[in-house]
Amino acid sequence: MSARDNILRRLRAAQPPAASPKSPEPRHMIPLPAMSPQQLAEHFVAAAEGLGCHVYRLHDNELLEQLMELLEGERVVLGWAEDQLPLPGLPGYLQELGIDMLVPAAIDDVAATARVGITGASAALAATGSLVVESGRGRPRASSLLPDRHIALVRSRDILPTLEDWQAAQQARGYPAFRHASNTVIITGPSKTADIGHQLVKGAHGPRELHILLLP
Amino acid sequence: MAAPVQSNDFVALADIALHNPDLQAAVGAGTRGAYARRADTLFAHSHEHGQHMRQQAAAAKRRALQGLPALLERAERNLRANGWEVAWAEDAAQANALLLDIARRHDVRSVTKSKSMLSEELGTNQALAAGGLQVLETDLGEYIIQLNDELPSHIVAPVMHKTKAEIRDIFMRELGMPPTDDAEVMVAFARKMLREPFIQADMGITGGNFVIAETGSLGLVMNEGNGRMCTSLPRVHVALVGIEKIVATVADYATLTQILASSATGQKLSVYTNILNGPRRAEEGDGPEHGVLIFVDNGRSQIYGTDYAEALACIRCGACQNACPVYRSTGGHAYGWVYGGPIGAVLTPLLLGLERAKPLPHASSLCGSCKQVCPVDIDLPRMLLDLRADLVQQRHSDASWDWAMKLWALGMTSPTRYTVAGKAARAGQQLLGEWMPGILGNWTKHRDFPPFAAKPFRALWRERAASRNPAAKRELPS
Repeated sequence: MSARDNILRRLRAAQPPAASPKSPEPRHMIPLPAMSPQQLAEHFVAAAEGLGCHVYRLHDNELLEQLMELLEGERVVLGWAEDQLPLPGLPGYLQELGIDMLVPAAIDDVAATARVGITGASAALAATGSLVVESGRGRPRASSLLPDRHIALVRSRDILPTLEDWQAAQQARGYPAFRHASNTVIITGPSKTADIGHQLVKGAHGPRELHILLLP
Repeated sequence: MAAPVQSNDFVALADIALHNPDLQAAVGAGTRGAYARRADTLFAHSHEHGQHMRQQAAAAKRRALQGLPALLERAERNLRANGWEVAWAEDAAQANALLLDIARRHDVRSVTKSKSMLSEELGTNQALAAGGLQVLETDLGEYIIQLNDELPSHIVAPVMHKTKAEIRDIFMRELGMPPTDDAEVMVAFARKMLREPFIQADMGITGGNFVIAETGSLGLVMNEGNGRMCTSLPRVHVALVGIEKIVATVADYATLTQILASSATGQKLSVYTNILNGPRRAEEGDGPEHGVLIFVDNGRSQIYGTDYAEALACIRCGACQNACPVYRSTGGHAYGWVYGGPIGAVLTPLLLGLERAKPLPHASSLCGSCKQVCPVDIDLPRMLLDLRADLVQQRHSDASWDWAMKLWALGMTSPTRYTVAGKAARAGQQLLGEWMPGILGNWTKHRDFPPFAAKPFRALWRERAASRNPAAKRELPS
């Protein structure tokens, strides 16, 4: 008999524990009132800023200006493929300014030492101030993980109220949609730790800074 | 090979902890801080809502346990459909052998690991080292205790028992860190030390917080990002997952991953809430080429059919540890194995056998705080009491305790013997004062024994009844 069969046999031979007597009407963990898109965006901004993110709500013409400020002095940044970012023409624009945007496959010295990473996000969650970032073609994980500064480009229309709402939207597209990405990470604030003296410190292993550029 | 067990030395280990001022300061601050943050977040909307979510989470885990064998099979099918290789291990030896085999198959030279309590149960680091494979812990707390050759003392915050100055000294001694009192400088130092190993590693080992049966997904939460490194950069990712980590649906997962974050650290969501659906796809540029998920039993299926099955609902948030007055005083190491606090006092005897953890069911005042804060409403005080009963029934209790209880029963079952014993006790106390004979002296060393009343209740009752109605005297049995 295999380990698998032995384990399953022991479980099946036992009297299973009772289900919970109380099974309440399902609720969302964080209840939000109905909101207009404008209110939802405001709620998201407040929640993300509460986590220590820098959030910018920008008009089209201010966007690149803000981005340039965050890329000051960089020559190489990690990023996503052009067609995976909500800002058309970004790699070419950066190129003109002398900045290479790498879409890393292997982690060589250049990728390992880049200080800034630029990604998109599939969704943002207002209740928790989170970004849903899915891996896939042209969307390497390293770009939101290795650099000190993560810049996320997020469309305002992709803001949803809660985690449950995002999962319901995924499920409405069928289970393959929920698991279509091999790696989905819901990022809620910059990397942090409280392991040293119970003091909260940002930038443990992941990005120390999380900048969210909210596109119209 | 597994973690060493010292749980029968609880009293001696607790005594050491109680006389360690650094530990007292660190554990006091850590537990009280986490306890307060949990309540702030869980009850942010309303107390009623927080309690409702605890019931919802409890029901989700109970449903999963009730259907466990079928859900495990369903999870296995869906995990495989997502590209996971699924393996099973009955105990520590099998799990560690699987890990070594996977490492050999994929020509693995270096291993990074993200915090896993199950791997502590299994003694994975020691077993892999014995097989010639060094494992580097990468959660900052785990990294520190690995440098100092210790076990984690808390489920969520492994180095909760150490002050900033102690950690500074470890970094200076083991890694040559320049002197500093700044936690930010220390974190930046550790970040730098671990960056190269992260990138060079061939294999990453993680635990798993949840396995979603209906989608074949592994749920993994962390705040530092080290787990993302371990699941994204090496060629091989192996997840060690207890068979009780199954949840049925995505909806149940959503409830549980959020209540885990709020109960553990008072966050609405952990910084990185990962849903891992197998290795990288052909069209992806990075991510592991191989993903292996090992379902580990290690004693869990033996608990499953018993009155202690609800211990398997635990989601390892550490809230019961933060709430427990005993844990707050002793920290986790006093419990002598992997899990401290109320859940440790229950799980240790269940997983290792009562005879190897005899003092633990008594390491509780039964105040009930643990049950009150448990996000899945595990009745820990009930199980601690049942384990105490088991200790007596299996004759693991102290011989003098048995003797004392027999004597007590003898006195309590006969009115004559009760009266005589009462008189003897009163006379004895007048004679001896605070001094108590033999092992009873241990009790009065730190406490005052309350003086017996000059007149026993029965005498008072008789006098009262006689003064009101002389006939009532007969109503009281003599």
